[in-house]
Amino acid sequence: MSLNRIKSQLLLRLLFKAAWVRKDRAFTALVSVAVVATIATAALTIYSDLEGKLSREFRGFGANVLVTKTSAALTAAELAEVDKIVGNRGEVLPVAYAVASLHDGGAKVVVGGADPQMLRRLNTSWSFEEWNQGSALVGARVAESVSHGGSWQISYGDAVSSISPGAVFHSGSDDDSRVYIPLEDFVRLTGIQPNTALVRVEGRPREIQAVISRLSAALPNVEVKPVRQITQAQTAVVGKTRSVVLASSAVVVVLIMLCMVATFTGSVLERRKDFAVMKALGASNRTVNVLFASEAALLALTGAIAGYILGCGVAFWIGKANFDAAILPQPMLLFPVLLGSVALALIASTAPLRLLQQIQPAGILRGE
Amino acid sequence: MFLRLLFESFRRQKRRKTVALLAIALGMSIATAMIAVGNDIGDKINQELRSLGANLVITPIEDTLDVNIGGVNLKPASEGAFINEQDLIKIKGIFWGHNIKGYAPFLNAPQKIQTRNGEVDAELIGTYFAQPLHYGKDQFTTGVRSVNPWWKVEGAWPADYGDFPEQITPDVLAGSKLAQQAGLSVGDQIEIGGRKLRISGILNSGGEEDQAIVAPLHVAQKLLGQPNAVRRVTISALTKPEDAFARKDPDKMSPAVRDRWYCSPYANSIAYQLREALPNVRVEQIRQVEQNQGKVLSRVSGLMLLLTLAALLAAALAVSAAMAATILERRQEVGLMKSLGAGNSAVASLFLTEAGLLALTGGLIGFLAGAALAHRIGQSIFGSAIVVHPVVLAVILCAAVIVTFIGSAGAVRKAMQFDPAVVLRGDA
Repeated sequence: MSLNRIKSQLLLRLLFKAAWVRKDRAFTALVSVAVVATIATAALTIYSDLEGKLSREFRGFGANVLVTKTSAALTAAELAEVDKIVGNRGEVLPVAYAVASLHDGGAKVVVGGADPQMLRRLNTSWSFEEWNQGSALVGARVAESVSHGGSWQISYGDAVSSISPGAVFHSGSDDDSRVYIPLEDFVRLTGIQPNTALVRVEGRPREIQAVISRLSAALPNVEVKPVRQITQAQTAVVGKTRSVVLASSAVVVVLIMLCMVATFTGSVLERRKDFAVMKALGASNRTVNVLFASEAALLALTGAIAGYILGCGVAFWIGKANFDAAILPQPMLLFPVLLGSVALALIASTAPLRLLQQIQPAGILRGE
Repeated sequence: MFLRLLFESFRRQKRRKTVALLAIALGMSIATAMIAVGNDIGDKINQELRSLGANLVITPIEDTLDVNIGGVNLKPASEGAFINEQDLIKIKGIFWGHNIKGYAPFLNAPQKIQTRNGEVDAELIGTYFAQPLHYGKDQFTTGVRSVNPWWKVEGAWPADYGDFPEQITPDVLAGSKLAQQAGLSVGDQIEIGGRKLRISGILNSGGEEDQAIVAPLHVAQKLLGQPNAVRRVTISALTKPEDAFARKDPDKMSPAVRDRWYCSPYANSIAYQLREALPNVRVEQIRQVEQNQGKVLSRVSGLMLLLTLAALLAAALAVSAAMAATILERRQEVGLMKSLGAGNSAVASLFLTEAGLLALTGGLIGFLAGAALAHRIGQSIFGSAIVVHPVVLAVILCAAVIVTFIGSAGAVRKAMQFDPAVVLRGDA
């Protein structure tokens, strides 16, 4: 057996025994590393997915981009272009408006032509009260001025159409004074084609901005504008929440790291007797350093792996509990977390050794 | 004797005690900072969500339907019903008056506008910009500048005149699209109904107001011949997210339940109180804003709550591990004390008293550091301080004592299980 082999076997044995004989000491060190790794993994995983998760919550605000053509109706080609650019990242709803008369009272009412199912999907914040089997969506204020049940007539110029209400909605906006009917019925009644498209673009603030720029570039004759209060609020809320999560995670991770370093350093300092015995038996400073460092690295590696798995679990659970959607583990975090934990443990365990090296082993053994 | 032991233990083991103290202080500053930030995040994000604008709207019950397409109002000024401007101050007097962050009245009608390039048709909108008002002893300013914070003005905002200023030419805003179409710029004069107005700024709202002239309410009332009249009021109120209880009908509740409903700042209960204060009005939630901002708010607060819990748990574990580590190293001391005749309870009480003292000191230091950190986070992200409630200090001190006891107790017990003779020989 070569000398090197014996040396490395001895090292392994020393490492193993050190952990086994003082299980409790090894365990507390392990726990403190695992806690750091867990909280760092959880915080970073959540942070990396936060923008997307939080932006999803802004879907409920409905259309966040308006596409309008003031001069004429939007052509089929223009609508197809809008559809193509938005793609599966949102919804496009062409709408047309006209002022018609309610037949029974003669009062003027704004009639909108749009796909009722899409309109409901787009405005999830509206409250709907189902009325009949019909297809029209009636604004709450219009509903107050017409007789309930059955269908009623509206006229536009000479054309008259019968409206069968499907539901009454409350929105709190101008829409409460409007009636929406399917676009085909609207075109048949008025002959007007849609000149506006309500667009909801989903995604992060800068993705929405990118879609808006692409739309304006592709459609030069059409006005494309964001519904500014929604996009602004989204940018502000998402940005500030991210900053808060980042800042508080940074505080937590840094402080808990310091806490771990203190624990680690403390327990190495407590082992000055081990240190002195080794030196007295003829170990060089380097050997002692290697021994303590590999012990710390081994503990840190085990703790960090446990912490990474636990941290992914915590992030997954927070996503499920708060956003109803899991926050998936980020494999790319594994390496930095492991490396960081091991590096910290190495620093925390070897720094106090420098201190001990200045003292004579005999002094320590005598208990001075 | 006990006190002396305690004192000497601190005096002679300064390094060991410092490590433990440091760990406790670090753990507790995490707890303080996270509790403070998590507790305040709801308010802070709610403030950010104010930029969505008003969440309640008041219209007269007798009003006819709005006939409004793409920013063009086709309803004549005389038609429909109005709210009396004088009554609006009662909005501040409702039970949740303090939650009303601002309101803006609107009066609008299509008008013919004389510019130097000819005549154009446009909407005239009257509103408050930043109108100072009194309610009882309270002074406050309200208007679109706070209610619709996304309105941007190039030039200057007009003043809110108490009445129509006969001596000077009143200032108004021109919508950006109208200004472009009619060739208006800052400083130009226009004429509505034979009265001269000066454009002090160009308004960019991204909405229908971009095609209108926006004037101080009292100027618009005079021009339209509708003194004291307001067509619509939008209100920005701080509300609690709607839940199943909020949607219940107050008229079908028992008195006790109704009181609880009435005294919760739901949008529905604030709307109910507004209807009580202002007769003959309809109060509606602007559902796009109200329904969604609650959802966003609860997601953000929920996230911070869970993060805070995770951080607290981590801090507790870290502090416990640190305490356990320091006490585990003191087995020889335990052995010595026991061989000199100390009972388990005497040893335990010495260690736990030490731990308690460390916990209180560390907790206090941690609280101060954590409060400073929370303050910094608030200042740098939201531009307003996060104030830590003094109650948190009590919570932190209790938590520190409990956590250190838990960390120490296990280790002390373990240390006492060994035979003193074995420990002292160094065989354990």
